[in-house]
Amino acid sequence: MFTQLTSGNCMAAIADTEQGVLIGYKELCPHCLNMEKMLVKYSKTHPDISLFRLNIEESPDTFKELGGERPPTIFVIKNNSVVAQKAGLMNPKEMKAFYQRS
Amino acid sequence: MKDTISFDLAILGGGPAGMTAAIYAAQANINTILLEESTTGGLVNSTNLVLNFPSKKAVNGMSLMAEVREQIDALNVPVEEICEIEHLDLTGGVKIIETDEAVYEVRAVILATGRKPIELDPPMDCDQIHYCSICDGGVYEGKRVVVVGGGNSAFDESIYLLILGIRHITMLEIMDDFIAAKTSQDNLFSTGKAVGKTGVKLAGIHQEDGRLKFVVAEHCKTGEKEQIDADGIFVFIGQKPSSRLFANHVNLDPQGYILADADMKTSVKGVFSAGDINQKTFRQITTAMSDGTIAALSAERYLRI
Repeated sequence: MFTQLTSGNCMAAIADTEQGVLIGYKELCPHCLNMEKMLVKYSKTHPDISLFRLNIEESPDTFKELGGERPPTIFVIKNNSVVAQKAGLMNPKEMKAFYQRS
Repeated sequence: MKDTISFDLAILGGGPAGMTAAIYAAQANINTILLEESTTGGLVNSTNLVLNFPSKKAVNGMSLMAEVREQIDALNVPVEEICEIEHLDLTGGVKIIETDEAVYEVRAVILATGRKPIELDPPMDCDQIHYCSICDGGVYEGKRVVVVGGGNSAFDESIYLLILGIRHITMLEIMDDFIAAKTSQDNLFSTGKAVGKTGVKLAGIHQEDGRLKFVVAEHCKTGEKEQIDADGIFVFIGQKPSSRLFANHVNLDPQGYILADADMKTSVKGVFSAGDINQKTFRQITTAMSDGTIAALSAERYLRI
């Protein structure tokens, strides 16, 4: 479901993605788990959107480079670049609206 | 058009009460589904260290709940997470639960939706206000935070924030005294990195460029206001029952907790309740699991008759 990214391949993966969502997460973070499961549900109705995850404890510099501050942060990828980001919780309807307006 | 799916039992809520009920129901060969609006684990997921769970000397709350979830998955109980319940009818012999994905027809229901943190009232629009130190504490390493609340949760979470490297904590308690256990208070204040202010309330915040700069604390008796520099605010002022969904279905007490009997039966036939959502004195992981056990066994008896 998710493609795990690292500092070594994150930027290249973004540059290679037309439509995607990246989540910056950390282990043992309940809100992160919530958002990952939300994205799984969201992707059922949006199979054309690629899902990526980045462990921000393992790749803190990449997370900062993307503009992230705290987990979970959702990054919307459109046309090979990050076009929007949002930290915190969202439900699938909010995610859909966020993606559409990004 | 949503699918209509039949089960014997639906459990609403996937915290320790709901998951324990699911285990007992599955072991009794009751065809069960568990519906959870967020992720399984409930409030325990936000507990850094559980120290009083039998068989575990010390365990992370999320890890503990993941183990319980593994047990449910091993028993092949279907779980629908991130589930929005759009309609509920508990009145008849067949109960109807409509979610954003499907319509479930069941013969019995266990309500185990637990509690949620109480948020600031009135709400304050600020990205630096948080309700979960595990989730959001790390970003404040080396910074100053204000903690609102004076109970055990506020002190335990503050100690955890210091472990994460928060530089300084100012505790704000609206009552004249902190109500947390004396040992918790001593543990926090003996660090020299926290100060407490009682009889004060959070009256306002000041942000610049979307960043919190300071909070305004107001002394309740004098009305005197005080400015406290802070990079973030953590709020631990108690919890409220998540009973809005079925407030018109089962009898609740004035605070919104379900009035269930010793067998976890509610005022509606075939509807049981378990865990923190019930009116009771003690709310622990173990008491929630006890409730879940009783609710599942009562539901089994109800379904077999």
